[in-house]
Amino acid sequence: MTRRRVVRSGSDAFVVSIEHDGRVRVNDTDLTVAAAGPGQWRVVDAGGRAHLAYAARSSEGVWVHLDGRVFLLEIGNAARADARKPPETDGNLTAPMPATVLSVRVQPGAKISAGETLLVLEAMKMELPIRAPRDGVVRAVHCREGELVQPGVVLVDLS
Amino acid sequence: MINRLLIANRGEIAVRIIRACRELGIESVAVYSDADADALHVRLADRAIRIGPAPAAESYLAIPALIEAARGAGAQAIHPGYGFLSERAAFAKACAEAGLIFVGPPADVIARMGSKVGARRLMQAHDVPVVPGETPSRADPAALETAASRVGYPLLLKPSAGGGGIGMRVVREASALAAASEASRREARAAFGDDELYVERLIERARHVEVQVLGDAHGRVLHFFERECSVQRRHQKVIEESPSPAVTPALRQRMVAAAVAAARAAAYRNAGTVEFLVEGLGDEARFYFLEMNTRLQVEHPVTEAVTGVDLVAAQLRVASGEDLALDQEDIVQRGHAIECRIYAEDPLHGFLPQAGRVLRYREPSGPGVRVDSGITEGAAVPVQYDPLLAKLVVHAETRQLAIARARAALKSFVILGIRTNVPYLLAILEHPSFTAGEIDTGFLDRDHGTLGAAVRDEPPLEAIVAAAAEDVGGANVRTDIADARGNADPWSSLSGWRIAR
Repeated sequence: MTRRRVVRSGSDAFVVSIEHDGRVRVNDTDLTVAAAGPGQWRVVDAGGRAHLAYAARSSEGVWVHLDGRVFLLEIGNAARADARKPPETDGNLTAPMPATVLSVRVQPGAKISAGETLLVLEAMKMELPIRAPRDGVVRAVHCREGELVQPGVVLVDLS
Repeated sequence: MINRLLIANRGEIAVRIIRACRELGIESVAVYSDADADALHVRLADRAIRIGPAPAAESYLAIPALIEAARGAGAQAIHPGYGFLSERAAFAKACAEAGLIFVGPPADVIARMGSKVGARRLMQAHDVPVVPGETPSRADPAALETAASRVGYPLLLKPSAGGGGIGMRVVREASALAAASEASRREARAAFGDDELYVERLIERARHVEVQVLGDAHGRVLHFFERECSVQRRHQKVIEESPSPAVTPALRQRMVAAAVAAARAAAYRNAGTVEFLVEGLGDEARFYFLEMNTRLQVEHPVTEAVTGVDLVAAQLRVASGEDLALDQEDIVQRGHAIECRIYAEDPLHGFLPQAGRVLRYREPSGPGVRVDSGITEGAAVPVQYDPLLAKLVVHAETRQLAIARARAALKSFVILGIRTNVPYLLAILEHPSFTAGEIDTGFLDRDHGTLGAAVRDEPPLEAIVAAAAEDVGGANVRTDIADARGNADPWSSLSGWRIAR
């Protein structure tokens, strides 16, 4: 049985078809793949050259290490190949990493302009200001000072 | 010899000290905060004691909790590692008062060298060259201006109590002095509780070269040659090496003599580092005392690699009052060593520190390759502490071979799940200025653009295939490691393992 996956990197999408015997077709290129240990893959390119890659799945996608280079790639089903992902941070703001909220500078209803600091997070001894991506009005604030917030969690809603 | 040691630190340095303890037959006692309950150092130590919640101020910086833990565990000594309490005279004093051996210099030596102004005066009195500069009196508001014009522009304002580049300001002309000094004092007050400043001539294109020293209990001071630490990003060292590609034998001779004189002047005991700024090239280069670090340095392994001396073991011997059984003539530099600091930070996004779980972890190994690491696969990298994950230290016959070895090792250092600076380290190791050894402390910040471009990268098809294979094959992977063009079916495993999730 052929398995298909769509792998996304930025705005590029690659349709990958994997056969039972390890033959792979990506767009129009033929390669082969074999397991080489837990999370370890030997990929042979079209020219016959073997590459050792390491991979790990996470909620954000699949992490891949290849010769000291690291990529975080999104995976989709072939059926959804054409579906465009909605833009992520339109109208809300999220923490880039686990962090402590140092200060909240805005309240719901406040008019803000692009670049204005909405709140300040602290992580690994560094202050990280979270700034407004555009002009707008604060619809809601979902965190308070001193709170530990996780990445991806919406901190402020803008309208 | 000490027989039970408490390690008041975490991460790779705690692991490093545990290893030395094991060799010397010392029982190791780790301490941990709630964020580190499953950390590698906790698992490796002979015993482990919880000292408090995640914030460092309530755990790794909590002197009473640490003293209490050491007493409770029956430890005779405390090793502070680096960072945290390692350069706090109050901690060394609290240890002494509790009858515990502090593995480091006595409290009064830490205090003496901790004041930049005091250390400078002491060095001047012992003919160790210092950067031309002055400490203006705080009482007289005009004194700063007078001192600045005597020192000359461009100049550097530095908090007397400082470290890590906090509060430092470059001032290029007199008109900018007032604003810069105000900002500098404000930051110094916030960070150190002391806003005394000193004014120093700015040495442009300077190198940072430091000398490792070790004083024993009988007043003997040995040196272990230099480390080149000019590859810095915003005053944070990134790559260190020994020997320095810029230090000639004649200059080395003068620098190590000055370092030993500095350590003697400070009545130094245990391992320490004398930092110098080097200006100019060749035998005629000038060097100036910068400061003395009264602790073990992050980059101590490059010295261990070229001299073959285990500095942590030496620290523990000195602290136990033992003789080192080592003469200066026994200590030689052999080959070339390079250390790369692996930080959990994203070079693609302003070096933002990263926290999260390490999903896949493979350390490089082989001849001349050493990894000092505080993490394993599955480890959680907490948000509360320094982002240093591990250090890669390579040793080879020549600098060129050491660079090649470091590059090969970094390419097979697999850390997935959190972003690290490994691609950035590779870009530095390939930069023509680095390979030529033509580096000064401004190198990384100046060449930020080219180095940044080098880490921006499109995934090759092989990476795309590996991602798809991992996603498909996670539930059903074949166990044989055959040639990829072979005939085995990669998806129908015979028995075999599954990837743990």
